[in-house]
Amino acid sequence: MKILIFLIFLQIPEQKDRRCLICHGKKDFGIVEEGRFKSLFVDYKELKNSVHRKFTCVQCHNDVRVIPHLKKPKKIHCLDCHFEGNVVGAPVDVRPEKYKESIHAKAKKEGKNSPDCYDCHGIHDVRSHEDTLSFIYRRNIPKTCGRCHKKELEEYVISIHYKAIKKGILEAAVCNDCHREHDVLPPEDPRSSLNPRNVVRTCEKCHGNPEIMKKTGVSVKQVEAFKESFHGIALEFGVLKAANCASCHDYHKVLPSTDPDSPIHPKNLAKTCGKCHPNANENVAKGKVHVIPHERDAGIVYYVYNFFKIFTIVVIAGLIVHIILDLFGQYRRKKYGSEE
Amino acid sequence: MVQKNNIEEEILKEIEKEEKIEFDEKLKEKIKKEIKEKYKKEIEKRRKEIEKKKKKEKEKEEEYIMRFSLNIRLQHFILALGVIILIITGLPIKFHDAFWAEWFFKIIGGIQVSRVLHRVGAILLFIVSVWHMIYIVFTKEGRKEFFELLPRIKDFKDFIQNIKYFIGLSSEKPKFGRYSYIEKFDYWAVYWGMVIMLTSGTILWFHNFFLGLIPKFLIDIAHEVHSDEAMLATLAIVIWHWYNAHFNPEVFPFNPTIFTGKISKERMLKEHPLEYEKLMKNKKK
Repeated sequence: MKILIFLIFLQIPEQKDRRCLICHGKKDFGIVEEGRFKSLFVDYKELKNSVHRKFTCVQCHNDVRVIPHLKKPKKIHCLDCHFEGNVVGAPVDVRPEKYKESIHAKAKKEGKNSPDCYDCHGIHDVRSHEDTLSFIYRRNIPKTCGRCHKKELEEYVISIHYKAIKKGILEAAVCNDCHREHDVLPPEDPRSSLNPRNVVRTCEKCHGNPEIMKKTGVSVKQVEAFKESFHGIALEFGVLKAANCASCHDYHKVLPSTDPDSPIHPKNLAKTCGKCHPNANENVAKGKVHVIPHERDAGIVYYVYNFFKIFTIVVIAGLIVHIILDLFGQYRRKKYGSEE
Repeated sequence: MVQKNNIEEEILKEIEKEEKIEFDEKLKEKIKKEIKEKYKKEIEKRRKEIEKKKKKEKEKEEEYIMRFSLNIRLQHFILALGVIILIITGLPIKFHDAFWAEWFFKIIGGIQVSRVLHRVGAILLFIVSVWHMIYIVFTKEGRKEFFELLPRIKDFKDFIQNIKYFIGLSSEKPKFGRYSYIEKFDYWAVYWGMVIMLTSGTILWFHNFFLGLIPKFLIDIAHEVHSDEAMLATLAIVIWHWYNAHFNPEVFPFNPTIFTGKISKERMLKEHPLEYEKLMKNKKK
């Protein structure tokens, strides 16, 4: 008996939706609005595969009381349910708030064509970010953003980051790893992850993580080395004209130094450094970049570092011993008199 | 006293003559007394002044000896000023992760201000090094001082003897000349430091110029050497130089000779007996 009730209960949403689908289930169903044909077809399978699979049509379109409805239902928005304190328990966190701060929300307020929640998450086909078919599944994110940002997508797909994604290294950077997803801010904003003072931290999220870097074979020490360089120190204390990661590595089209198209390919270094340093020539390629003096692969700098380390220890230790012996002698003579 | 009485008597008589009056005995005694007191005071005053003068001359000629010329003192002063500025503005860059580095840059008005100050210090260092080169090559005094500062076998012997004296193997302190091996070490350490810091610092300052001239790894070496030698120099100054000039109980709290140029005979005999002997010999001649 219990099982029967349960089965009936399960059947209910589909039963209810069947009435909607009499019209909205037809592929050519639509109306003419402002002289243009507007499809009103709903792929019901998509809804049933989405995170909202348990809901019936009228649970969201809740102003539809009579079917068929005579009035055009009012527009609904994700935030109608996804707000804090909703007793139904629609998941909510800081994301909508973060979105309100973003350049997307700002543009939307100004009446520009700018994405709202459903532009990225989907409408009836909202899927979890873990779902490989989701618009916001890591592998699919570039395509999702690229729907509007076409030029950026073209550059990005050449990059080593996208190559890694294609290889199946899903930790490789996609749009939102650098731009963030909800609080997308322009680089001029000091809060932006792309602001010169934050770029290093943005790249460091992955490039300072040994687990991710192990998969890619890129040294995890590059960020540390940069932070110790004059560029890094200048940036740390607010000299924003100093070079950050993106100044040399580019951003959408990040390529390894082995690629002849890369700005950090030895042949292109003179031009890359020349952006800031007017006299840069082929000399800048003679030597390692991102040098950590105490690492053996720093080459000659490693030996200079070690020479000075030993030299300093020996000299200072010698001086300290001399001082201690002097003090000891003075103390002894004071105590026992200068005559031996 | 008899003579004095006569003088007083004579003065009184003269007055009597001039005024054509006669003093009575009481007034005579009073005037005599006053005159006496006045010159006693005057004599006392003059005697004291003469004594003071004599003492001063004695101090100048006998107790104190001029050890450093004004030229040397000024060189040291500019060097010290430059080094202090350089260390204060340089350390926060080397230790940029430390909390005080951030404080420092905030107080001073940003890393850009600090960079300018560092270059001011560098200019002072550069000035003093050129000055010193001219001094030791083109002036008689400079050549003499440089000759005195050259290391000799005696310095090594003095060093061994001093260690023996420290640990009690010998009761005799080594007899130093104008410069002890300790002072010579300081001088040559600054030589080494100046060559390294000025060379590497110049490369770093004018990196845009040098970038077109030398391979990058040389600039990396300049960067590393500048940072490491700075550390060595700072430690040497704080530990060694401050001990010798300030914290050594024999000179605590402060040995003013390098600023005043003067050294007492007592300290001279203790610290530079051979130089003193030579000085006295030359005087006799």
